[in-house]
Amino acid sequence: MITYLAAAIAAIVFYKHPQYCTLSAQAGCILASALGAVSAVRLLLSGQEKIILHPFESAIPFVSVSMTMDALSAFFILILSILTFCVSIYSIGYTAHYHGKRNVSLFHFLYSTFILSMVLVFTADNAVFFFMAWEIMAVLSYFLVVFESEQEENRQAGLIYIVMTHLGTAFLMIAFMLMFYYTNTLDLYASSDHIPDTGRNLMFLFFLIGFATKAGVMPLHIWLPYAHPAAPGNVSALMSGIMIKTAVYGLLRFVFLYLGIETPWWGLLILVIGMGSAVFGVLYALIEQNIKKLLAYSSIENMGIIFIGLGIAFLAFAREIHWVGALALTAALMHCFNHTLFKGGLFLGVGSIHYATHTKNMEELGGLIKRMPVTAVFFLGSALSISAIVPFNGFIGEWLTYQSIFASISSENAALNITLIISVAVLALSGALAAACFIKLFGISFLGHPRSKQAVQAEEVPFTMNLGSGLLASLCLLGGLFPLIPLNLLSRVISSITGNGVVGQLQGGFLLAWYPLKISGNNNTVSPLLILVIVVLLIVISLLLLRAFGGSYRERKFSTWDCGFHSLTPRMQYSGTAFAKPIKIVFKIFFQSSRDLKFQGDHPYHPESMEYTITTESVFEKYVYVPVLIWVTAWSKRLKFMIQTGSVHTYLLYIFIAVLVLMLYNRLG
Amino acid sequence: MIAIANNLIQLLVILLLAPMVDGVIRKCKALSQKRQGAPVLQMYYDLFKLIQKESVVSETASWIYKATPYIVFSTAAAGALLVPITTLVPSTQLSGDIILLFYLLALGRFFMCLSALDTGSTFGGMGSSREAMISSLIEPSILVSVFTIGLIAGSTSIYQMMRAMTEVGNPLFHPVFILTFLAMLIIILAETSRIPVDDPATHLELTMVHEAMLLEYSGRHLALMEYGAAIKQLILMTLVANLFLPMDQLISFPGVGAFILSIVLYSLRVIFLSIIIAITEISTVKFRFFSIPNLAALSFILSFLGFLQYFVLGR
Amino acid sequence: MDSYFDILSVLILLSSIILVSHKRIKSYIKTFRIQSALIALTAGIMGWNSLMEEGSFDILVVCVIIVLLKVIFIPRLLHKTYGSVEYKVEKDFFLNIPLLILICCGLVVFVYFSVSNISGLNEDHLNLQVVNSFSVILIGLFFMISRKWALGQMIGFLVIENGIFVTAIFSTNGMPFIVDIGIFIDMITAILIMGIMVMQINKQFDSININKLKNLKG
Repeated sequence: MITYLAAAIAAIVFYKHPQYCTLSAQAGCILASALGAVSAVRLLLSGQEKIILHPFESAIPFVSVSMTMDALSAFFILILSILTFCVSIYSIGYTAHYHGKRNVSLFHFLYSTFILSMVLVFTADNAVFFFMAWEIMAVLSYFLVVFESEQEENRQAGLIYIVMTHLGTAFLMIAFMLMFYYTNTLDLYASSDHIPDTGRNLMFLFFLIGFATKAGVMPLHIWLPYAHPAAPGNVSALMSGIMIKTAVYGLLRFVFLYLGIETPWWGLLILVIGMGSAVFGVLYALIEQNIKKLLAYSSIENMGIIFIGLGIAFLAFAREIHWVGALALTAALMHCFNHTLFKGGLFLGVGSIHYATHTKNMEELGGLIKRMPVTAVFFLGSALSISAIVPFNGFIGEWLTYQSIFASISSENAALNITLIISVAVLALSGALAAACFIKLFGISFLGHPRSKQAVQAEEVPFTMNLGSGLLASLCLLGGLFPLIPLNLLSRVISSITGNGVVGQLQGGFLLAWYPLKISGNNNTVSPLLILVIVVLLIVISLLLLRAFGGSYRERKFSTWDCGFHSLTPRMQYSGTAFAKPIKIVFKIFFQSSRDLKFQGDHPYHPESMEYTITTESVFEKYVYVPVLIWVTAWSKRLKFMIQTGSVHTYLLYIFIAVLVLMLYNRLG
Repeated sequence: MIAIANNLIQLLVILLLAPMVDGVIRKCKALSQKRQGAPVLQMYYDLFKLIQKESVVSETASWIYKATPYIVFSTAAAGALLVPITTLVPSTQLSGDIILLFYLLALGRFFMCLSALDTGSTFGGMGSSREAMISSLIEPSILVSVFTIGLIAGSTSIYQMMRAMTEVGNPLFHPVFILTFLAMLIIILAETSRIPVDDPATHLELTMVHEAMLLEYSGRHLALMEYGAAIKQLILMTLVANLFLPMDQLISFPGVGAFILSIVLYSLRVIFLSIIIAITEISTVKFRFFSIPNLAALSFILSFLGFLQYFVLGR
Repeated sequence: MDSYFDILSVLILLSSIILVSHKRIKSYIKTFRIQSALIALTAGIMGWNSLMEEGSFDILVVCVIIVLLKVIFIPRLLHKTYGSVEYKVEKDFFLNIPLLILICCGLVVFVYFSVSNISGLNEDHLNLQVVNSFSVILIGLFFMISRKWALGQMIGFLVIENGIFVTAIFSTNGMPFIVDIGIFIDMITAILIMGIMVMQINKQFDSININKLKNLKG
């Protein structure tokens, strides 16, 4: 933690020399993240309860900077550290293109303090401190988002972001005040037994709204597709990788550990929100041409999947089936972990594309695999993981989620069964659509002919950038092949939360991670390493057999089949819009697209040029947010006219009335 | 030891039987059109001929184009190791989970779609985009049917499910299983690109879905892709044959003889199923592409109703 | 025996859902025919059972009447009526077909929730057959709502008829003979009248799209 501070200070000190600034700040971050990871793992392995640090106690009541790290915090700090490590390595190369153009030291200062604030969020043990850290995190990320602030759309994005975050934080504040009202203390590790039922329900709702805004699930997601593309590449990776997970941490810490689950409708609400986000997120991701916006919508989808896992866990705990709940919680947290890794890798890859070609529009890319081969391989690894393909780590998270739903259906309540099977269908649909989405992203950007001059001139990115994204991609692969290593760490977290270890149900000893995953009571086994070994063996066997039966491999290079035309231009390839068009037509209720065709020329049958525009409506914005916004602005205008009369006497009158009311309250209360 | 030998025999049987299924279907279609048609073993001859030819590779293609046939073939063959032919031998670690099976086949499909985009031709993009849509729409139905059977059997391991179905007796006399069987038939038609979803014998590029992705391939690459597709078809048919038409409970004597009898019965069931698929192909036409969501919705409803009949309505 | 009835009730439900997913005139009539054949089979098995056990003929007679009327006579009548219509495939729908199928699914769930509390029907386990056959009635009504051509209304009415009959025989193992005959006579009259009306509408307006009746508004 101190190292993060040192990194931030170093950034300011080296204000004049961009080179040294970058190197020292990032080196500081790398060191700090390594230390963080080591301490988190040590805490998890040793089975210790918590570590308590009290740096400051101050005289102001309720404000004390005290931090506690228990198993749940340790897990999240571990994820944060791994991501920061790789992103910092990446940033050494990425911020090189800011040298001389912008204020690099400011960037590094903001970057280091942003990570510091997230560490504080994870370890706060006192509601006020948590709230302070939360606010600091929001403000710093706003500054990072509008870092390239001369473009209008970035400012707009920052505005939407800060407004939505503050709305969420307002709800959190109400929930904290309720907490204080009922229990007279703001310590997060205290018990919550005295809070009556209505209070619990209200607090749950407010916590949910506050954290759901930060997580970016439907219907509070509209800031995500604007904010993540506007931020610089490595910041988007951090935001999408870990900042939206702070919402999951918050939900678990406050609702699960503090309030305790008793009512089933909490889990049901989270489940339904998760299902909606999963489907809508991936549908809107499919039709995007801006590569960063596509990844932002995909983050919405993955948060939906995590919320589905959380919902199943809460449902199971409310019904007192603890091992199913532990399994579902493991699935949700495992997906958090995996999502950080592969989404970080994807955003870093996209940042590399932007660095090399200076465009974010998929329709101008193409053929990059021959010009940036190393980036392509790592990007492919992350894309395969997010589509939950064996043997990468995304599959393990999805498999665990399916197994937890499987274990929860078997009860008597019919409505619950129907909802659970519909959630299976939703998970399957969103998984398959996500695979289609990433086929589109990788295929159109990297494969085929280049569609523009910038794509033709693209060059391979610097070594450090590749190292960063390569580390993440290889962690994805390793996590998929040896799933028991992260799962063992997770099970300690889960057992400290719920008292149920899931690894007892998952076979295999500690660190002997190539044993297959197995859920007892179910008798099914999944062993990705074995599958990989079999696949490689089969490839070798098929090569040998082909050599034996068919003679040696002869190849002739020729141009692609062009149906008799002589030249295939890059425009004849499938574009991103075209790839997603069938799915857009099938789901046209959600998109409400419209077409426009304009001619230029004297006569419509002999135009000189035509322009064809397809637009899709953003359903939530148009039907939900804009009317609310219009109503709020109209109402506040009217209020303004009533209150701000411009006359000094009225203002003095207000002060007088306020003083009288306070004195009265003091007398009566 | 016996279990590993069982798995290897299973792999061999599936590898040998896969082109025969294709031959049977083609022969049925030819006979129904009052032609002789190609011999039943035609696909073996085709594969052998293709292996010996040279490959023509496009200049735009990258390593993905050349790696995909191997990946498609080996994922399909690895899937063949996971699906038991006979339930007489108890399972090992290898007889896997059904969710694992479907996501393994998804690996092959991912790379196939990518390789079609790799060559930079219009037909490849068209095939990829259509295949992406069809597979996304059919996926919920697959998982709901699989979950229904798995929940009845108590596990998602394929061996457990087949074992449980042999204990049920005649599955097709229960409402749950009829509905799930019909849903899985539609799933097989969609996943193996048969009429009414996609015509495997078409020559018009505009109507191709699966063929469009194979358009650029030639020589041994084409042989591997076709073989991989045939193996995938046989795996899905094995699932249906063993889950819905189980005959292993009729074999009451142990020993090697029983094992061989079980494999022979399995082959007969597979041929029976391929005749059913051929009859379906003969009696309908390829649907308009945007009528495929109707078919996918029907399949989803069938599997959902199957789940309802058992878990909500109690039988 | 009970399992045969289970399967038959599921197949009848299936045929009504397949009916919703079709678009051509001939497919409507063919699916209706298959559904009536299945119902006749059900009634036949039930009638055979009652003949063996009690020696009573009524259900068998009803089965024969169904075969004559609904499997042979009415489809032929419908074919003749619609032979002269110009367009044979319905193209214009209020909602698209996958959505209609999903709504049918929701109807089945809804029927389950309404019927599951009736204690007379569900002695120790839930009566699967009643839920399935009741859904056929609702799906028939839904079919009437969702189609714009007059043929849709007729077939929907006939499917409702089918559904009522099947619900009755599943829940009480046979209806009084007189009631059955009465229903059939009513149905025949209604069909004959509807058939004649549609022929006249087609001759007069050259279209059987009843949505155009809106033009007659004030």
